[in-house]
Amino acid sequence: MLALSSLSKIYPNGVHALERFSADIQPGEIVAIIGGSGCGKSTLLRAIAGLDRASSGAVRLDDTPIVAPHPKIGIIFQEPRLLPWLSVADNIGFGLSDLPADTRREKIARALARVGLADKANAWPRELSGGQAQRVAIARALVPQPEVLLLDEPFSALDAFTRKDLQDHLLDLWADTRPTLVLVTHDVDEAVVLADRVLVMRPRPGRLFEEIKVNLTRPRDRNSPLFGSFKHHVLTALDRSLDRSVPDRDAKAGVGGSMWW
Amino acid sequence: MAMTVELPVRESADETTSPAPSGRLWRWARPALGLLLPVSLALTWELIVWLGLSSGRLVPPPTKVFATITDLARSGELMRHVTVTLTRVAAGFGLGVVAGTLFGAISGYWGLARRLIDPTVQALRAIPSIAWVPLFILWLGIFETSKIALIAVGVSFPVYLGVMGAILSVDRKIVEVGRIFRLSGPAMIRRILLPAVLPAYVVALRVGLGLGWMFVVAAEFMGASEGLGYLLIDGQQLGKPTQIVAAIVIFAILGKATDWLLQVATAPWLRWQDAFATQGGPI
Repeated sequence: MLALSSLSKIYPNGVHALERFSADIQPGEIVAIIGGSGCGKSTLLRAIAGLDRASSGAVRLDDTPIVAPHPKIGIIFQEPRLLPWLSVADNIGFGLSDLPADTRREKIARALARVGLADKANAWPRELSGGQAQRVAIARALVPQPEVLLLDEPFSALDAFTRKDLQDHLLDLWADTRPTLVLVTHDVDEAVVLADRVLVMRPRPGRLFEEIKVNLTRPRDRNSPLFGSFKHHVLTALDRSLDRSVPDRDAKAGVGGSMWW
Repeated sequence: MAMTVELPVRESADETTSPAPSGRLWRWARPALGLLLPVSLALTWELIVWLGLSSGRLVPPPTKVFATITDLARSGELMRHVTVTLTRVAAGFGLGVVAGTLFGAISGYWGLARRLIDPTVQALRAIPSIAWVPLFILWLGIFETSKIALIAVGVSFPVYLGVMGAILSVDRKIVEVGRIFRLSGPAMIRRILLPAVLPAYVVALRVGLGLGWMFVVAAEFMGASEGLGYLLIDGQQLGKPTQIVAAIVIFAILGKATDWLLQVATAPWLRWQDAFATQGGPI
């Protein structure tokens, strides 16, 4: 279980990015974190990844405190961040350097086939389209088989069509080993398509505002009325989170009992 | 009303990698294009002297320069001077590159080291390298050592600056990829920083090599008995402009050739670059 307890982050310049954020995320759960800009969602993700340390509070994965990048936690950034001097295959195998060469090759080949880029193994990253590059990044993060995969607005730079395609693809890949997914997004559609639970955050300082369980079976039909009502619910919560006149409410009260409409 | 629905075409990156509109002819025409300017200038000067518009005594025509070069080559003297100069440049360049790379990498990677040594290096860099000549002669004698030291000093500064600057400007986002995969310090340098700075490093090496050629002449001006720089001084003292121009032409050829060699030798490591030049630029 991924346990976030009372995470706060104050940057050296005095910006209060995150305040007492707590959440327990079950193995295999998909959680989407959504909120207006400056609500600390990227800060939160970087703290879970071990890239930055929270000013107070703790991140624990199965009771191991996370203070630095951990082999069981992978991350996919907004940009593919492929290493331009490595071929696509070597990029995917970047995290496997301690494996013997033949196991490594085999894993890379399997991952390439799984993301549908087997013919691009020897291509340079510059020869890929945006969608292809992000698929390579997904393969690179998944090939060491992390227990937790963090995604920081992973599809926001892609066109709507590619984005939808990659969301479905991501769910398909997730079903293979069912890692925990923590997804930061500002796209309501994306949150409702992917997540079991949507955490709405409120900016300045970033804190948890509301928690919405998405009780929809997969695969989810983006055009169904139920999907629409979940979307509406998240949108309303998002609007309220940005409205300063609405007081904070105890976010925990929303768990399970959030079907108020 | 007609309505066309076009499905978005995805994953069509291959177009960007298509070669420039070039045939076999273009492959040969491109280097020839670079020769166009010097050759036409030489021809024009030759023509002017041939028509008697100038005596060509102080600025000898290309045929005379060529004749001098052939004479020097035939007597074996050219080979001797070229070998001596090339050896000096190679030794000085090698030492300068090693020193510049080492210190550049150290001050690029460790902030503390940068604060400690960079101000001193920058102050030393501000000294015109020729100013070291008297001191080097006193310290190291008038023979090879002082010459090579001068060249090495000249080469090391641009390499130092290039390496340090390149490491400092490596994209934080790419370094984070290394951090996520928990690379140790040496692994981070070897797998992320070095490949990332390679393009800038090659440029620094080329600048360093150019300075190496500059300083070899300075070094050979200060009392050498052989080398291309000696040919220059000898030509000046004995009033032989043809010999001076011949030495200059050989400098140009050697400088261009070594620069080209450096480029060719490093090209295989830079094939991944996604830059203006890889696409060939306009036309």
